[in-house]
Amino acid sequence: MATSQILKACARLLALIPIVCVPLFSQAPSASRDFMGMWSDPPVTIIGDFCANWCTDAGIERLNALLDDPKNDARPLAALQAEAAAYQREKYIRPRLTDAALKTYPLDRAEDPAFLRCEPYGFAQQFIARHQLEIRQPVKDRLELRYGEWDARRTIYMDGPRPPAEPSSPLGSSVGRWEGDTLVIETSGIRAGRTPWQSEHSDQLRVVERFTRSKDGKSLTLTATMTDPWSLREPVLIKHIWAWAPDQIIAPYDQCEIPTEVKKGIR
Amino acid sequence: MMRLQLLFAIPLILGCATTAMSHHSFAAVYDDSKLLTVSGVVPEFKFVNPHALMYMDVTDASGKVTKWVVEFAGRLNLSNVGWTADSIKSGERVTVTGNPTHTGSDRIAFKRLVHTDGTELLPAAPQRSQTLEEERRQRALRRNSNQQKQ
Repeated sequence: MATSQILKACARLLALIPIVCVPLFSQAPSASRDFMGMWSDPPVTIIGDFCANWCTDAGIERLNALLDDPKNDARPLAALQAEAAAYQREKYIRPRLTDAALKTYPLDRAEDPAFLRCEPYGFAQQFIARHQLEIRQPVKDRLELRYGEWDARRTIYMDGPRPPAEPSSPLGSSVGRWEGDTLVIETSGIRAGRTPWQSEHSDQLRVVERFTRSKDGKSLTLTATMTDPWSLREPVLIKHIWAWAPDQIIAPYDQCEIPTEVKKGIR
Repeated sequence: MMRLQLLFAIPLILGCATTAMSHHSFAAVYDDSKLLTVSGVVPEFKFVNPHALMYMDVTDASGKVTKWVVEFAGRLNLSNVGWTADSIKSGERVTVTGNPTHTGSDRIAFKRLVHTDGTELLPAAPQRSQTLEEERRQRALRRNSNQQKQ
């Protein structure tokens, strides 16, 4: 190949660099993509309070309708929140459960291994647990999520080498990526356990978490899509909200007391 | 001296209590339709997770001392509303109101604590519920205003 041809080829390659690289640079972290640090219980708003554990759009819509009805003005807020929570369980969750899951739904909270035997939550209860969520990036291609409840920790493998395939585990295996300013985490390999709405799920459960930070930076919203052919007829979408809480710390979680007097069967 | 009062059975809406005790099945242990008040001296307050615990020596009229346990929400939750390990001091006398157990054992779930000087500890910061009520009030005002315009 003549020297001039080599130079022309190099020139063409150089011309391509901006085209290839601009999208890469556009993925650089922006303010609304900076999730690192400590988050905790939701902002003090009616909806934040309602979503302190988990909520659905159906539940939020119901709560808004109750609040907008003057007939409910004299009722305690907690009563309206309880009615909206019952609505989302019966009108949104129940119709999506398979016959297999409905056989034991709702499970007795008194038989939750977390309560009865002090066993840490499995993924489906942990990922929307109340209180602190600390997000760190110890190395470039990994995120660490640490929760106040149970002091549970998850490793998210970002756009890089995936974790070795393992048998199912309580918190499963998670891989993550950025879609614009949204952090997307996909988790599978989750050991069968309990859902937040107190039904059983199988080890076929897959969860896609989508985290977005509010424009003012003060809150972090998680929208999770949960699929499980054994327990769900169709995907279930639930939400959880945290507030920015840089002053909080995660205290030791080491004094769980196994209850000695339990009355079962109370819903 | 023991002061033990089974106050009254009321249909309490315990949304806060059930959600605050997050890992816990509150209803499986405690009867949320009843309230009990107990006074005694505190040998120890454990500001821990998942639930803070306070031990209390309750003395009856005959001088017999019974050891009670008071269960709180966890440190994770209480620290959010300003509690510390010093919120209740060893050796102090306190009066606690809470839900008794289904079995009637010497244990209650905290709802309110009064120190000897009359100051109180409550499960959630009053300003939190005030903020929520204010949001609700403003929302109702906007709704009524919009309805009048129509």
